[in-house]
Amino acid sequence: MLLHYIDLSWRSLKRTPLVSFLMILAIAVGIGITMTSLSVYHMMSMDPIPQKSKQLFAVQLNTTDDGTNWWTEDNVPLQLTYKDAMALHNAETPTRKTASMRSGFTVHLNNQELKPFLSDARLIGRDFFPMFERDFVYGSAWTLEQENSSAPVVVINEELNDRLFGGVSSVGKQVYLDDTVFTIVGVMKQWDSHTKYYDLNNGAFDSPEPMFIPITLVAPMQIASWGNNNGWKHEAVTTFEGQLQSEIFWLQFWAELNTTAEVQSYRNYLQAYLEEQGQLGRFNRAVPEFNLQNVNEWMEYNNVVTTDNKVLLGLSFLFLAVCLANILGLLLGKFLRRAPEIGVRRALGASKRQIFLQHLVEVSLLGFLGGLLGIAIAQLGLWGVRSTSNEYNALATMDLSMLLAAPTIAISACIIAGLYPAWLVCRTQPAIYLKTQ
Amino acid sequence: MLEIKPIFNSLLRSKAGALMLLVQIALTTMIVSNAASIIFDRIQYLSQETGYPEDEIFSFSVMSFDKTLDLTQKFEETETMLRNITGVKNAGLFNAVPVSGSGSATGLGLQPANERGQDSRAAYYMADENALDTLGISLIEGRNIRADEVIESQTREVFPKVVLLTKTLADELFPSGDALGQTVYFGDTPLEIIGITEKMMGPWLKDSRPDNVAIIPFVGASTFQKIIVRTDPDQRAAIMRQIEDIMLEDQNKRVIVGLRGMDEAKEMYNAADTLMLRMLVVLIVVLLSVTALGIFGLTVFNINKRTKQIGTRRALGARKSAIINYFLVENIIICSAGTAVGSIAAIFLGQSLLNFYSLPALDILYIVFTVVFVVIISILSVIMPANRAANISPSIATRSI
Repeated sequence: MLLHYIDLSWRSLKRTPLVSFLMILAIAVGIGITMTSLSVYHMMSMDPIPQKSKQLFAVQLNTTDDGTNWWTEDNVPLQLTYKDAMALHNAETPTRKTASMRSGFTVHLNNQELKPFLSDARLIGRDFFPMFERDFVYGSAWTLEQENSSAPVVVINEELNDRLFGGVSSVGKQVYLDDTVFTIVGVMKQWDSHTKYYDLNNGAFDSPEPMFIPITLVAPMQIASWGNNNGWKHEAVTTFEGQLQSEIFWLQFWAELNTTAEVQSYRNYLQAYLEEQGQLGRFNRAVPEFNLQNVNEWMEYNNVVTTDNKVLLGLSFLFLAVCLANILGLLLGKFLRRAPEIGVRRALGASKRQIFLQHLVEVSLLGFLGGLLGIAIAQLGLWGVRSTSNEYNALATMDLSMLLAAPTIAISACIIAGLYPAWLVCRTQPAIYLKTQ
Repeated sequence: MLEIKPIFNSLLRSKAGALMLLVQIALTTMIVSNAASIIFDRIQYLSQETGYPEDEIFSFSVMSFDKTLDLTQKFEETETMLRNITGVKNAGLFNAVPVSGSGSATGLGLQPANERGQDSRAAYYMADENALDTLGISLIEGRNIRADEVIESQTREVFPKVVLLTKTLADELFPSGDALGQTVYFGDTPLEIIGITEKMMGPWLKDSRPDNVAIIPFVGASTFQKIIVRTDPDQRAAIMRQIEDIMLEDQNKRVIVGLRGMDEAKEMYNAADTLMLRMLVVLIVVLLSVTALGIFGLTVFNINKRTKQIGTRRALGARKSAIINYFLVENIIICSAGTAVGSIAAIFLGQSLLNFYSLPALDILYIVFTVVFVVIISILSVIMPANRAANISPSIATRSI
């Protein structure tokens, strides 16, 4: 029966080629535009680590005086001071946590063959690797002992390993970062997440750093942050030691909390820590303020999906609605003109249900064809997005779920548009049309 | 004459199709007017003057990894070397590159930091006496920095005593316009305002105070250093191509990154806005085409449905123009209702965008223009099928009766 309906629909499309083409074009353009912005939105807002996003928490501490304004919605600074970040980093609780900071170095092998190049690096604790589920191709993370003794060790990613050592295991080999010799302890698998969710401060869609080194090297090596440094009070900071002791915010902090009990106990810990720091006279704040936000909350809080993207997505769906109204109007005309034929079919015994279904199959076919053409248009749109800005290279693509969503949305939209015309036409009274034959 | 009443009555009898057209026109009016408002806002933003001769300036960063080197002295030599290249007008070390999205800002006030309440947010460039010339910026009042006023130091323990401010910043600090010669405080350090420059933008075009800029005569050559070069516009590309080799020949324990012209830097900073602009333009164009096609398609259908009726009217003596008029008037009725509903919806949408996303308020003019435009498009898309209808032969009326 379904095949028969599809056959009928196909004949119907061929009978009115112009209007059918207009309808398919309308749905295709609607889907094309909507899928372009939906794909970008989907890639931007997607949970980057779904299996763990509820256990990883970004920590914010408000160590400013009461009345200090910050640009976050709740006036709490995004980053931490060095002393707070390291205090939390060295604390007993929770089991896994890490301070984190972006920096960079000149990478070279101290020979003539390799031209020195600049590379981003991240300073972290060793917990970072299990926390963010980083797998190793060779070697492993540095040991706690190495971390505590500020050993110059580095974990590099596959790409850097290929570039420096042609892909063979580089564990135990040495590399120069600026003029310091580092020992490679691990080679990390390529990080394929397109959102750099662990550091939303410096471009949420930048590539992850290719090198990771212990956070404990910041002080001895005087490593400056390549990210934001934000002060809120006047301090005469002239030396690196001064920067370490200052109230300037320049490090990020993540904690892994697996149960609600752990979350609660960490909240208590932070509360106590802030009260203690307040009593030391560091800041003047009546109520201690801090935030613990999991990955998705953190992305939301940092407006990873920009206003522009949301507005564009909304307008695209409105546009799809216009296309639907368009199709609905055309379908009404098309179906109702067929009333005499339907009258005869009804008189010959077709049930209302059959007529209704047949017309829904017809609109679904329209939707399917429109959806396919829509995917092509969306690809064109995404190509346009990618060519505007490099940042969108990884974002302006359709993953499998979006590829499937396109015809699904197209078909459901068409069915919604087709319900009323199909209902109208299946109510056709055979008698009226039989009279005029 | 215009037969509005019978047309209206006939519309009421087949409501659904007309209603869909109405919804379509209303939504189109709503979307297009709001999108147009955002588009023009972005065009204004993107085409604003930065104050710089953007096609003459390029910048790059130098990462020096030879820590045994006296950086201050080395960079002095490098600057001189750069200035001597044919085609280079001037060059120098800066702490930040204009319109690049990265730099430093502070609050400048009339009292030392610990004593004051309000201050003025200002981006600052730290550079030497060549700064203004390198950036291609002129003074409005006062004088330029003298070479002996420039502090060269790796720490900030010794700080300059003078500063140049843009006119906007000077006027914000001294509303009566007598900023020249006065003192502002950078932290606790007093700086005498020796010159006031024409408008120039800071590193962030989207800052709350994008053209509040101060130039402080301080050069702190560091291992990671930004350099700005101004050249003859037609020689910029050639010099940019050679710059890495020139710099590495000067000193090979360094890496050159981020080489780009100022126009390119601005483009990168604004990429998301350009993208939004383009997507909205595409959206509007396609939307209007879809609506036009919809009106066209629906009219064709109506005409097919009414072929006999039209033939009969023609047989009874109706002129061709009467037939065309019929469809035009019908369309104008739907279109007026649609644009009316759409205008109200547009205002509503504009309000929501303003409230939720703080987008600029929707000017009524955008709605007016959109309505006019939609009406014109809808008339155009009705005329062709209406003409066809007018050519229906009266004989069709007699055929099957």
